[in-house]
Amino acid sequence: MLLPAEMPDDTDDLHFVPAPCQVACPVGTDAPSYIAYIWEGKYEEAFEAITATNPFSSICGRVCDAPCEPACRRVQSDGPVQIRNLKRYVMDEIGDRLDPPPVPVTQKETVAIVGSGPAGLVAAHDLSIAGYEVHVYEMTDRLGGMMIWGIPAFRLPPGVIDEDIQRLTKRCPGLKIHLNTALGDGVTLEELKERHDAVVLAIGSWWGKKMGIPGDTDTRVIDGVQFLRDVNAGARPEMPETVVVVGGGDVAMDACRVAKRLPGCKHVKVIYRRGPDEIPARAIELEGAVKEDIEFIYNTQQTAVSPKGNQLAITCLKTELGEPDEEGRRVPVEIVGSEHEIECGMIIASIGQQGKCAHLDEKGMMLSDRVRTEWGSMLTDDPKVFAAGDGAFGGSTIVMAMHHGQRVAYYVKAFLEGHRDPMPYRQPFRTRRVPLAQDLEWEKLPLQEPAFHGLGANPIEFPEIEDTYGSDTARNEAARCYRCDAETGTADYSVRHREDIFTMARTNPLDERSHATMLARRLQPRDNPFPDHRKATLDDLIFLPANLTRLVIDPYREACRIDTELGAGRFVMEQPFIATGFDDAPGQVREAIAEGLKDFDTPYLGVRALSTDVPWLQLVVPGQIAPSTDAAAQIHNLGHEFRPIETTRLTENQLLGLSVSSPDILEETISYALAKKFDILLLDGSGGLGTPWAELSGEPNLTILRDAVAILRRIGREEEIDLIFFGGVRSGTDTAKLVALGSMAVVLGVTLGLAAGAEIRDRHDMQFSADRDKNDRAEAVAHILNASAQEASMMARCTGKTNLQNVEPEDLRAITIATAKATGIPLAGTL
Amino acid sequence: MVQIDLAEIPVRQANELIRKYGADGEDIDIINPDARHHVGVGLTDPVTVRVHGSAGYFCAGLTDAAHFEIESNVGWGLGDNMYTGSVIVGGNASAIAGVAIRGAEIVIKGNMGSRAGQVMKAGTLLCCGNANFMAGYLMYGGRIIILGDSGERVGEDMAAGEIYVGGKVQSLGSDAKMGDTESSKIDELRAFLDRYKITFNGDFQKIVNEGKKLHYKTSERPMRSLPFVGFSGKSDYWNPKIQEDIHIKSQIGRYRVRGYGGARELPHLADIGFARNISGLNEISNPVSKVEMRTLIGGKHGAQPLDLSMPVMIAPMSYGALSRSTKQAIGIASSLAGIAENTGEGGMSDAQRGAAEQLVFQMLGGRLGWNIHDMKRANGLEIYISQGAKPGFGGQLMAKKVTKELAEIRGIPQGIDLRSPSRHPDILGGDDLLIKVEEMREATGYRLPVSVKLGAGRVRDDIKIAYKDGFDFVELDGMQGSTGAGGAEVMEYVGIPTISAIMDALDGLAEIDADGKIQIILMGGLRDGVDAVKSLCLGADAVAFGNATIIAGGCISCMQCHVGQCVTGIATQDPEHEKRYRPEIEAHNIHRFLEGVRWQIAALTHALGYGDVKSLNRDDLVALTPEAAEITRLPYRPELREQQHLSKAV
Repeated sequence: MLLPAEMPDDTDDLHFVPAPCQVACPVGTDAPSYIAYIWEGKYEEAFEAITATNPFSSICGRVCDAPCEPACRRVQSDGPVQIRNLKRYVMDEIGDRLDPPPVPVTQKETVAIVGSGPAGLVAAHDLSIAGYEVHVYEMTDRLGGMMIWGIPAFRLPPGVIDEDIQRLTKRCPGLKIHLNTALGDGVTLEELKERHDAVVLAIGSWWGKKMGIPGDTDTRVIDGVQFLRDVNAGARPEMPETVVVVGGGDVAMDACRVAKRLPGCKHVKVIYRRGPDEIPARAIELEGAVKEDIEFIYNTQQTAVSPKGNQLAITCLKTELGEPDEEGRRVPVEIVGSEHEIECGMIIASIGQQGKCAHLDEKGMMLSDRVRTEWGSMLTDDPKVFAAGDGAFGGSTIVMAMHHGQRVAYYVKAFLEGHRDPMPYRQPFRTRRVPLAQDLEWEKLPLQEPAFHGLGANPIEFPEIEDTYGSDTARNEAARCYRCDAETGTADYSVRHREDIFTMARTNPLDERSHATMLARRLQPRDNPFPDHRKATLDDLIFLPANLTRLVIDPYREACRIDTELGAGRFVMEQPFIATGFDDAPGQVREAIAEGLKDFDTPYLGVRALSTDVPWLQLVVPGQIAPSTDAAAQIHNLGHEFRPIETTRLTENQLLGLSVSSPDILEETISYALAKKFDILLLDGSGGLGTPWAELSGEPNLTILRDAVAILRRIGREEEIDLIFFGGVRSGTDTAKLVALGSMAVVLGVTLGLAAGAEIRDRHDMQFSADRDKNDRAEAVAHILNASAQEASMMARCTGKTNLQNVEPEDLRAITIATAKATGIPLAGTL
Repeated sequence: MVQIDLAEIPVRQANELIRKYGADGEDIDIINPDARHHVGVGLTDPVTVRVHGSAGYFCAGLTDAAHFEIESNVGWGLGDNMYTGSVIVGGNASAIAGVAIRGAEIVIKGNMGSRAGQVMKAGTLLCCGNANFMAGYLMYGGRIIILGDSGERVGEDMAAGEIYVGGKVQSLGSDAKMGDTESSKIDELRAFLDRYKITFNGDFQKIVNEGKKLHYKTSERPMRSLPFVGFSGKSDYWNPKIQEDIHIKSQIGRYRVRGYGGARELPHLADIGFARNISGLNEISNPVSKVEMRTLIGGKHGAQPLDLSMPVMIAPMSYGALSRSTKQAIGIASSLAGIAENTGEGGMSDAQRGAAEQLVFQMLGGRLGWNIHDMKRANGLEIYISQGAKPGFGGQLMAKKVTKELAEIRGIPQGIDLRSPSRHPDILGGDDLLIKVEEMREATGYRLPVSVKLGAGRVRDDIKIAYKDGFDFVELDGMQGSTGAGGAEVMEYVGIPTISAIMDALDGLAEIDADGKIQIILMGGLRDGVDAVKSLCLGADAVAFGNATIIAGGCISCMQCHVGQCVTGIATQDPEHEKRYRPEIEAHNIHRFLEGVRWQIAALTHALGYGDVKSLNRDDLVALTPEAAEITRLPYRPELREQQHLSKAV
């Protein structure tokens, strides 16, 4: 069974919601990703995202109707992100030199496609990518359909079209082109069905509709589509002084702007039967036309054409808007007695198009203006013949025709694979998961307008009306994107929650069906955020603030004491921090760290002293280097195995300490340390104190602190030895938690390394970038110490304490069972 | 001239008479005052009240335009929050004399207690004797004159204003310094003394703010948020967020500040399911008509309760954190939905008052924008003790948002990085709180419900105090609550989750046999009617939505509220950004969200088999995770986490 899910699609990703722009795009373009790539300067990646579902990206960059832009949420703020211009920028930048890899033919079946407009060629593209040999039959001498015949060169230069067509043919080597081959003239439907396994009719809406009013057979009343076709074939006819264009669609816009550029024409007037709010033309085309001095006459309905002298007179009535029709558009109602005339030398009727094909008509396959086609299957009356595009569903936009191409390709594939009842087509949405642009100005940057040239110096040459962005403008415009697709920074208001709330806020209160669907969505439970394998972690401890109970007066702002004494006052620290981990760091880094530690007289724990003016807590590895008289403390590293340490103080105030890396040896170590009057017990939660960057192994083992405190409490000797914790301390908050759990001070390693400009490599090593000077690093170290001290004191203060050392286990709660167990702290809300 | 004998009638009755006589333009003599509290509070007419004897706490508090003369001594909080008018005390005044005054003139002939003039904004506080410690603590403006000695730490953390000392300056407070005495100012000062017929020939020393703490020295590079999955749940210990934090802190040298709520996953209502399979939602037609949802909040002490069309309120959010137009949109939406809105910190604007039919007026420690006139036009009064996002700390409003207009409404200097005090000057414990609640009731004639906003911490104990101190209801805010700006670490690691908070609250009340005796409004990370129903089942009387309403009104959850240039015009005071927000459109979006919530509450209540939201109860719930089970003591049914799926519900 062929499922839409077989197409690349990311909508199952819980952390992705297709952005409104992507949803609005008929071909599902991953706009947020390419916009983000543009900001990063990754144009090749942007190109991939752009072209993945759109073989006419260069064309769309110029002339797409861009339904993405009105859908952009920034519309409501200061204007939508200029998504089309950004695409144009990428395609102009690298579109002519990048080709997606060719896809070989792998299937035995072949498909015929009649017509090479956007619907036909997208179908050809998608079917080629699926491995089919595709034959395109085109009645003119070029590929492109209305893209090439219907759009004037000042909006879409021919070179741009060639670029897309060449890329398409390179990508699809199995694509066979049959030019100058019209259906019913060069080839018959029977022949196509005979030669191929499926046929797609994408014949387009090639002929303009007549106005159907008296006098519209006058030779000076011409058809807008034909007029554009002639001009695109190279004609530059002499025009009368005044030209009237009837209609308000895109053909009318192109026709009026072309007329304005042709020799002889001075005035162009557009007559439209509804008002400016109803006109279907895309805003940017309309604005362009207005800027080019084209006059718009709204609420005016033509009723007859008649010669008047050398001129033509159009008889018109004024209109007003009446009741909405079945499509919800308000019907223009003619105002009685408002008859008037508008004079001109030529009328270009652009009131709609129709598909025609005598050959299909003979077979009874046509409706009045298009091939009879069922939307749900894209099938015509013939089970082997499909249809798509304007020729099947009436006039629309290029990108909508492309969507038809995708749809029909899907159903043709299903047919060729033998699925008689495929799942309904659903637009797939992909994301490239590009990080958000970290642009400082993103909230402020205004909409970036490309330079507009209008008619230009020599209008008859049809120079391009506007420029492509430069790289800075493109980057600024890209920075403006909200990134509605991306996961947010908050679990409670994740992208899915946010979008559901958005949807609720846009649901009619009386629409019960939508309420029911939304409620069903909202009832879906989330995954357990704390699965069994989540380890105990400092992250899952929280502080209980002082509110009505434990009210205190004086601690305002950050004031709270954090100085710390070790060894019954023999060693005093301004902050509860000890540095470690730089024994083997590059010389410049060691000097910088030493400099940074001086601000707060922070001691350094290591096998080597860091500098003569930084207090040194010597890490003594039993049996290696002997204790030094220079050290403020000897910390003998027992690691995972207990052994007796015979040592003496080498100076009067030298502290003695033991370090343990395993809870298993706490009992013996503590009783030994107390018996031998050690001052410090260093608890190594990382399990690897002394080895490089041991903390990178992950969550520190908190049970070692819990057990040490429990043993000391049991024997009632907590006050006799100072506990210091090492392992995974990342902030002042972590510090305050460890102090609350019983530690006097903490040892910082990786945190200082990161501050001083190291990067984590392969999850177990740190590498210092060479591009930071000593002062920078030193300042960063002093800064992180100050910030951490502030955080620690804030935490203490919020619990109502004026001294960090007074924070206690009772000030903590756990939010996970694992952490509650590992620390002995109760789960919040249970005590 | 009329006389009131406090030996004959209680203060409550006396205050009603004082206001009545005041309205009639009669001066009042009070005899036998017996140092009673709250004498004259709430008076807003320019009459003279003479107290023949001593008065207790908050004498002349919450008044405007009146004149008070007290023959002997006064208790603490003299002239609390007084706008214009004057007070003359013949004897001594206790602590926090002139607290939060905003234009009044207060003259104390004797000595005054500690923290005099705390958080005052404007006006003059004169003490003819000596001051106790920390005079001018946290003052934002105005003038304190001490003819005797200053007391210790004078001018502690003052933001602006001037303190003149005629005697000895015993010690300066933090961020205070000696200033230059300009002769013109001294002349004004002497004119003031003359006006009150006080002779002083000595010289003055002047104390002003030193300016070290008014601004963060370094600004933080505004970063767009990393996706929460990268630092939550199964993420690495040294994850990208941890590394970003370390890098930023090593650049700025201080703790990080940001807006929005907590970022990490925490135990949440989402980890609770319904015991009964909710199905056939498509068949439920018009559930709103089938379920009684009207909820009265805050009437237990005889005040006019808030009358809610469903058990939902808007959570307190300030004009300041949010733009004027955002507050207006929320107010309109609350009226359309028939629920109550809340001013948050920072005052009540006419636009807000006009937009919201039911509006709770919130009082914080800095008394920013707090005044008797807005109290009187409120539908409820609320004492903010703390909030879920940053319990234990005051509000923060970055300088970018402290515009001229905003500074005016709050009565503070323009353009400072405003760090509001974390404590109230006059609430140091449960007993003070009791008297404070009474003052508010006295000033508004016992018409309005008085609530307390509590960030969840030691809820089990706090709720007992809230109950015993006579509040009408509690707004209980779990740590998933949001804020315009706060310390990033505080948001993540201080306070307890919302589901823990409600359990602690119920347990606390049960311990003193007060189950159900004080209404609880639960908030903090609630997003929809599903969360609301679960909260009601757990035992909340109503819920409040804050962030969800902001999102409904166009917030994109970029978490940059603290920066002040909100891209959608919500969390900003910059007119260029604010004009991006269209209150008339967003009000309807927010309203539709609230109607969606209403439908969900009704449909779920109906599906659970009830016709009234008050019937919802714990038996309707199960826990879906071990943590939720342990916290809520609900039956643990992990298999339901897998089963509750879309197809079954519709």
